[in-house]
Formats: sequence, C-alpha cells, structure tokens
Amino acid sequence: MSLLDILKTVSAVMGVLTVLSVVVLSLTLLERKFIGRIQMRRGPNRVGPFGILQPVADAVKLVAKEDILPSWVDRGVYWVSPLVVFVPTFMIWVTIPVARDLVIRNMEMGLFYIIAFSVLSIVGLVSAGWASANKYAVIGGFRAAAQLVSYEIPIILSVLAIAMLAQSLNLEKIVDAQASLPYIFIQPLGAFLFFCAGLAELGRTPFDIHPAESEVVGGPYVEYSGAHWSVFFLAEYINTFAIAALVTLLFLGGWLFPGLPGNVAVTGVLVFLIKTYMVVLVIFWFRGTYPRLRIDQLMTLGWKILVPLAFLNVVITAVALFYGFPAIILGLISISILIGTFWVISIRMRTAPKPVYTVRLYDPTLEVLDAR
Amino acid sequence: MLGNLKGLGVTIRTLFRKPVTYQYPEEPKPIEERYMGFPVLTWDEKVGEPYCTGCMVCVRYCPTNCMSAVMKDNPLHPEGKSTRRKIVDTFEINLARCIVCGICVDVCNFDAIEMSHEHELSKYVRNGNRADLGQLLEMGKEYQQEVSWVSKKDKKSEEES
Amino acid sequence: MINMGPQHPSTHGVFRMVMAVDGEVVVDVEPHIGYLHRGSEKLAENELYVQVVTLFDRLDYISNLNNEMVFCRTVEKLMDLAIPERAEYLRIILCELNRVASHLLFVGTFGLDTGAMTPVMYTFREREKIQTMFEMVTGARMMHNYIRIGGVKNDVPKDFHRRMQDLISELRQGIDEADRLLSFNEIFLARTKGIGTITAEKAINYGMSGPSLRASGVPMDIRKDEPYSLYDRFDFGIPIGENGDSWDRYYVRVEEMRQSLKIIEQAMEQISDGPTITSTRLVLRPPKGEVYVRGENPRGELGVYLVSDGTDKPYRVKVRPPSFCNLMALKELIKDTYIADSVVILGSLDIVLGEVDR
Repeated sequence: MSLLDILKTVSAVMGVLTVLSVVVLSLTLLERKFIGRIQMRRGPNRVGPFGILQPVADAVKLVAKEDILPSWVDRGVYWVSPLVVFVPTFMIWVTIPVARDLVIRNMEMGLFYIIAFSVLSIVGLVSAGWASANKYAVIGGFRAAAQLVSYEIPIILSVLAIAMLAQSLNLEKIVDAQASLPYIFIQPLGAFLFFCAGLAELGRTPFDIHPAESEVVGGPYVEYSGAHWSVFFLAEYINTFAIAALVTLLFLGGWLFPGLPGNVAVTGVLVFLIKTYMVVLVIFWFRGTYPRLRIDQLMTLGWKILVPLAFLNVVITAVALFYGFPAIILGLISISILIGTFWVISIRMRTAPKPVYTVRLYDPTLEVLDAR
Repeated sequence: MLGNLKGLGVTIRTLFRKPVTYQYPEEPKPIEERYMGFPVLTWDEKVGEPYCTGCMVCVRYCPTNCMSAVMKDNPLHPEGKSTRRKIVDTFEINLARCIVCGICVDVCNFDAIEMSHEHELSKYVRNGNRADLGQLLEMGKEYQQEVSWVSKKDKKSEEES
Repeated sequence: MINMGPQHPSTHGVFRMVMAVDGEVVVDVEPHIGYLHRGSEKLAENELYVQVVTLFDRLDYISNLNNEMVFCRTVEKLMDLAIPERAEYLRIILCELNRVASHLLFVGTFGLDTGAMTPVMYTFREREKIQTMFEMVTGARMMHNYIRIGGVKNDVPKDFHRRMQDLISELRQGIDEADRLLSFNEIFLARTKGIGTITAEKAINYGMSGPSLRASGVPMDIRKDEPYSLYDRFDFGIPIGENGDSWDRYYVRVEEMRQSLKIIEQAMEQISDGPTITSTRLVLRPPKGEVYVRGENPRGELGVYLVSDGTDKPYRVKVRPPSFCNLMALKELIKDTYIADSVVILGSLDIVLGEVDR
C-alpha cells in the first residue's frame, strides 16, 4: 500500500471516530428528550438552549467521578474488559457504507465480518462480571451472556435470508439490489426478527433485565464507576446506532430514495441518516412503552418463538428462490406468517379476539351477578 | 400482540401533546385561594398595631409546639386609640416545625393569625426558619395585600348592616 | 441469603426483605419493618381530639381523608353526634376522590415495578389534577386536616360543582388511557398473571382485606356489608377477581376507580344546601367508654379502637392498619417464585409503610 493509501485510510478512520462520537452523544440527548415528550414532559432543557450541552455535562460528570477500585478485583481483567466491549463495536463501523463508496473498506464478506465482531463484545461482558469478584456480578454477567448468545441465532438466520435474496454478502451490493423494492416489503418476517433480536442484543427494553438487574442484584457493571462505566455506556449507544444502521441497510434500502440519484454522496448520506434516525426513534419508542420481560420469559421467547420463525423464514426464502416465485408472493407469505404468529400469541395470552377479564362487577343488592 | 400495539398507539398520541411541565422558577404553579402556607400575623391598618393580643390560645393548641409568645400591656389602650388591652410583645414560630394544619387559625378569637401563601423554606442560614414578630408581620402585610384581606369580624358586621 | 435493603429502587417506602434463595427461586422471606415507626399511638395519648386528626392524616399518607373520616366517625359514635347531611355528602365525595388518587398512584408504581416507565407519568398527571382540586377545597394538597369531628371544616367554594364535572370527565379519560397502555399489554400479562396467587380461604385466614382480598374472589366490602354514612344511597358495584393473582389485584383497583367516579357523580346530584358543621366545642369531652369503628380505606379495612376516660385527651387509640395485615401474607405469596417476581408481588399488595409502622 502506498503512503497515500495509508494516509487516506487513517484519515477515514479518524473521521469516522469523530463523527460517531458526536452522533452517539446526540443520541443520548435525543433519547431523553424523546422519552420525555412521550411522557408529556420536556426532556433536559436547562443546560444550553434546548439542552444541547447536556451530553457535555454528562461527560464531564462521568470523567470527574472518583474511580473506586475495590481491592480484591482482578486488576488486569478489570481494566481490559471495557476495552473488549468497546473495540468490536467500533470495528463494525469499518464496513458500514454510509453512501455509495463512502466507506473505509468495503469487503466482499462485509456482513460476515460484522456478525463475527458483534459476538466478540459478549466476552467482554462476561469478563467484566468475573473481574468484579462479586458473586452477584458473576451471576449477572453469565445471565447477560446467555441472553446475548441465544439472540445471535435469529440475527444470523435473518441476515442469511437477506444474503440469499441479494446473492451476496457485500453491503453495497445488498443496497443496490433494493433499488426496486426495499427488502422490508419482501421479508417483513425477517425484518421483525432482526429488529427484535437486535433489541435483545443491545439489552434494551423490553429485554433489559441485565442492566436493570440492579433492581435486585447488581448486573455485571456493578463495580464500575465514573470513566470506566462511561465506556460501557458509550459502547451501548454505538451498538444501538450500529443496529439501526444495519436495519436501514438491509431492510430499508440504505441511501436509496425513489427519485433521488443514487450516486451523489451528499443526498445519500442525508437519506441514510434520516432513515437510521427514524429506526433509532422506533427503538426509543419501544423503550418508553413496554415493561420488561423476566429472564426466563426472555429465553423462552428467544428459543421457542424466534428461532423456529427464523428457520421458517430461511426455508420459505429458499423455496421462493428455487421455484422462482415473484418477490411479491414471498412478501405475502412472510407477512401472513407474521400476522399468524401475532394472532396465536394474542389468543394464548387471551387478549384477542376480545380481552378476557377475570374481574367482574358484583352488586349484592341485585340477585343476579353482573358478568362483564 | 394486540395489547402491545394499542400501547404503542397511546404513546405515539401523547407524543404530540403539549408537555405539562411548569418551568419553575420562571413559571411557578398557580396557587389556589385557600392554600395553607405558613402562618403569619395580621396588621390592623386602622389602629396601627397587630391584631394579635398575645393570648396564647394558638400556642396551646399547636400539635407540634412550634410557637412561643409573650404578651405585654398595650400602650395605646389608655390613650383610647385601641380596644385591645394587651398586645403581643414577642412571637416566634419555628416554620420548619410547623405542619401547616391550620388549627391555630381555627382557634384564634381575634383573626390575628392567618395561613399565608408562603411555602418556600430554603434559607441560607441554618436556623433561618425561626420567624420572629417582625418577619411574621411583614409576611402578613404581603399576604393581606395579595388577598385584599378583610377580617372576619369586619365581614360579619358588613353582612349584618 | 439476599437482602433487599431498606431503600428500594422502586417505591413502597423503607422496608427490608431478607430472602433465602436457592438458585433463582425464593425459598423463604423474612420482612423487617419498623423503619418508619413514629409512635403515633403514644403521641395520641397526649393530644386533644382536634390535634389527633392531624396524626391520623399522616398514617396512610396517600389516602389522608379516609383516615380522618374513620377517626371522626369513631369519636362521633362515642359521643352519639349527628352530622348534617351536607357534611356527609362532602365527606363521601372527597373520600372517594382520595380513593381514586390512591389507586392512581398504585397503578403508576406497579407499572414501574414491572419496568414500564410511562404509566407513572400519566397517572401522576391525573393525580396532580386531583390534588389541585383538594387544594381548592381544603387548602392543602396532601395533609388536609379537613374532616373534623362533627362535620367538615368549612364549606366548598362556589365553583366547586363546575370544576368537579370537568375533573370527573378528565379523570375518566386519564384512567382509560393508562388502562389501554398497561392492562392488556402482553408483556405486562406475562409478568403478572399467575404470580403470587392466594386462595380465598387462605386470604381470609391471614386477615387480608380490601382490594387484595376481593381479587381472590371474596365479595367483602364494608361499604356494602355494613353501610356507614350514606353509602346505602348510592348505586355502585364492587369488582371481584377470580384467580387472586397480581393481575387481578391490579385490575380490581382499576375498576374500583371507575366505580368511585360513579359514586361521586351520584353524590354531586344528590347534595343539597345546609350547614356543614354541628356546633361542637373545640375541646371535646366524650363520655367514658370504648368503641371500635372500621372503614373502607383504599388499602383495606382501617379499624380504630378508641378508649376514652372522660377527659379531653383520648386514653388509648389503637389503629388496625390494613397494610400491616395484608403484609402478613407475603411469606405465603413469595414462596417458590423467582427473585424478579418478588418485586411485582410486593407492589401488587399495595402497602404504605406509614400504616405498617405507624
């Protein structure tokens, strides 16, 4: 590689790092303001106009906090675990194309590389729990690891179905193949699976039992304070943005928009950012609405519902490709399976066709018991 | 999943509603007329002395014993300017101990003590919430102006006439 | 052994649970109470009857007017005092409004226990409206000291009716909204159905009362069994559950809110003008004797046992708090559940530590 190439790569990496940091800081503020609006209140608005400087205040606070290091932790592992969680999340961004040709290094096996690196951060979580030398942290770390590992499978399978449709693992080619119809219309089941499993990978509501484990016992982060913890915090938000970017690229058509030329960098970046922010807002919307699932219910959902559906998704994609069905038939089959699953869940939880009330009104002055 | 989707619908609808926050301290929440804040002493404009005669009924009835008072002979009475034989000399309320129950207002025979709209307790001094007679009368004058206060005796004589 | 310490991340006050855990399943629990003990019953021996009402305000600090009402009815029964009708109507309206406020707080914090962070904001918004109404009528948002022995303290302001009509319709919408967000959410159902079930017989044996008992299928409500203070003039139903699990305890309270709004509407129609307080002296001297009176609080049956020896201060005031007796069933309820469920079960019992510890 010539010197020019090396310089280009290094500057691209630095550029991505800075832009990512700014974007992630804005995400923290956006989350608080969005959830505040859902709850009929304003988000933070004291620090700077509309609270723009709030992430700066948060960063200053986290860095200025005293770094308490208990004397019985395993020093080496304790210091290295945040890095092990943080670095793979940045490595994913090497191959995510923001617009055509606006990527650090577009690999032929881009998707494979991304999945492989996202699994690495799980090791960091377990080692963080282990290094804390606190039995609750260890248990919390193992639980988090179990959740994350078991939700990798639906992610991999739904990504496999997309790769089958596009006939390539290269992210730019996948986006190009969506020029006629974004893949969300052809594989709504796959989109739903990827989204749900992605939420569980991130540890976001309704699957956030592992950060919220501090309700009862400490999670794996319990012994980390101040700057160390901020590394975990940033890694979670970068991951959120990465998953949202992947959803945009794989299912929503990346930087393409009907009517706009697909080659211009500026419009491409703009469209990409708008779509990714929309997905991120949907993730925050879910956080504001739903309660959390218990850990065993989470694992049941993953293994008993999402994994079979993921296999079914791959099978029907294969069948459709083999027999050469038009894309719309695949879309119809997929969405009917999705609606069927929703219906079955509703019937089992007795909320559909009509909600089942186990509470009725009783008026002892009347002889007849009032049934609802 | 129907319940889940309905829940999403509710949250997306409240997204577009006006937020209900009051931006304190620029925009404090409006206080109702009957709000019971801290007790203050009232000032009789016509005679130029407090209504309070120092009879200590309120001091006896306070559930938390947060008040103390001392009574003295009224110098204005022998001159004929006032109908009160005794007047209050010192009066102290420990506002941090007051539970704003309003019993002192109910038992007072002279309309001397009223519950103002004052409710902010933060001071810069540690024991700065012990209000003495001067402070209480000042807060009372503010309250009287704010509400255009008429004593109950005057109100009754107005209604009768 | 896991200790869920005196300060919970979720509310309920200062309460400590020491749980013996086998893997993930809770085998035994030992509740430690007493962190909020203020000696209310002993203090009441030294205070005049007017001042004891302020103590009762602060027992169950979420449903203040109900506590005041039970105490005032106790003294009135001892003294055989008759209350003007308008005062009774006002008392009932405000007590039912307080019941709605208390259940709104329960719905919000129960959602928070399961992890949903938005229903809290919605229910507290509605509660804020109710508290503004209380401020308009009684003068205080929480510790009202409004219901006195012999009636109420003073009459309501002139625009009470109009503001009350607006408030009732807004509350209906608010309750429906929180209901639609939380009650039939599949994740919420998965979290609360079948958790912490107690049968009717066991619940009666433990001495439970109120909505927690009615969720197990026992149709006991003091307002219907021994109607006190004009409750027999209103037409309302009481919600009864079937299974006795946490969801039933939650939904019984949601339905009770709607029935309370119904009672308030009927009372607003039936109310007529008149005096609001009988002329009792401020320093009462009830005759010697003892009396026990119970009332239906939002949490269950509050009982007050009053012994008087003829002076102006009570000789002994004993309070039978509903939350204390409901809490006795905790050991039974938490057996063989997961740790994460223990928070949900504790939340569904709806205890207030001010009552448990007095």
